[in-house]
Amino acid sequence: MTTPTPPKLRDAIRRDLRPTRPLRPPFVRALVLIPIAVAIVLSVPGLRFFRSDMAVIGFVKAWGFSFGQALAGLVIVGVALRESIPGRALSRGAVVATVAAGLAIPFVLLAVTASAFNVGPEQGRAWEEGVGCFRVSAVSAIPALIAAAFLAARALPTRPALAGALYGLGCGLVADAGLRLFCEYTVPSHVLFGHGGAIVGAMVFGAVAAKIVGPRR
Amino acid sequence: MDPPEAELCAHMQAYLDGDIEAFDALYAAFAGRLRGYLLSQCRDATLADDLLQETFMQIHRSRRTYQPGRPVTPWIYAIARHVHLMKRRSTGRRTRFEDGMAADARTADASHDSIGSIVDGDLVRRALREVPADQREALLLHHVEGWSFVEIAARLGIRVNAAKTRAFRGMRKMRDHLKGSQG
Repeated sequence: MTTPTPPKLRDAIRRDLRPTRPLRPPFVRALVLIPIAVAIVLSVPGLRFFRSDMAVIGFVKAWGFSFGQALAGLVIVGVALRESIPGRALSRGAVVATVAAGLAIPFVLLAVTASAFNVGPEQGRAWEEGVGCFRVSAVSAIPALIAAAFLAARALPTRPALAGALYGLGCGLVADAGLRLFCEYTVPSHVLFGHGGAIVGAMVFGAVAAKIVGPRR
Repeated sequence: MDPPEAELCAHMQAYLDGDIEAFDALYAAFAGRLRGYLLSQCRDATLADDLLQETFMQIHRSRRTYQPGRPVTPWIYAIARHVHLMKRRSTGRRTRFEDGMAADARTADASHDSIGSIVDGDLVRRALREVPADQREALLLHHVEGWSFVEIAARLGIRVNAAKTRAFRGMRKMRDHLKGSQG
């Protein structure tokens, strides 16, 4: 040993030293959110109504793809939790790929599963319906966002805004997975604003919240 | 020669189990390298020593984020970089705060002869010293470090309203001192 620990530092560490259980790996910790994700997917249509073409698109394309999207959201939350571990920061390419894939998923699923395109709200109700979907999605994402923020804060996010944006994206996808069982509109303006906008909103909210809370340690 | 990662991982695992000698071994393995790294970042030997201590304290606080079996070196360097960036950010805030206070004082009495001392920041520091310690702490945590009153209350073990009152009174006293020292 060449460099002895300074006595004051050693005393401070020794006073506080006790066996510590390391955090579980990020993707294992993300599994904690499964019950919340399931509850969100079920409750968004369950508390209101299901889209009228559920029978047309079929069980797999409705429920299967929704739970698949929610699972993708949880994977992105896992990526965010990994980003929150010192020394495991994502490369720029990985960040771009994750965000691009996350934002693309709802639109790809819509393209694959829609029973008819250009289905939109009645004339004059486009804004109201868009805001309605945005609000339902944003509110539904809140429980998952709080839980994900708590999980991330237990680590040490060295780029808190990025970690927050990623778990916002993941939680936004989970909320949208429920929303797609409730909303059957396929017109681009509604999908982009009411659905995509809510996911982006969750990203922004997550980034701002993590930026405010993150650097205090 | 740096110890191999496997040895560092073993030290880290022992440290997680509560072994202070494992911490000593990690300190011995990393102190020199980390100090060099921090010095290259901040170019100030005294500050680098402070940051080194803070890095090891942060390592201790965040030790549960280490994942057993993974390399220790990138984990420790990421924490050192984080500590350096946090310090740089808070120093920037403090500088802006002191510059802002000095600018306020200059605006209050631009014709006064003590502009030189205000620019030096001495006046602000003197005024800060005149503020009672509890008020000064709340004032600096809020206006310099950017903490919310909820966080300050949690840190100081007081009510949120008490934190607000302390910061407000501290600021008022500081302004009075600044005005008094000019008039």
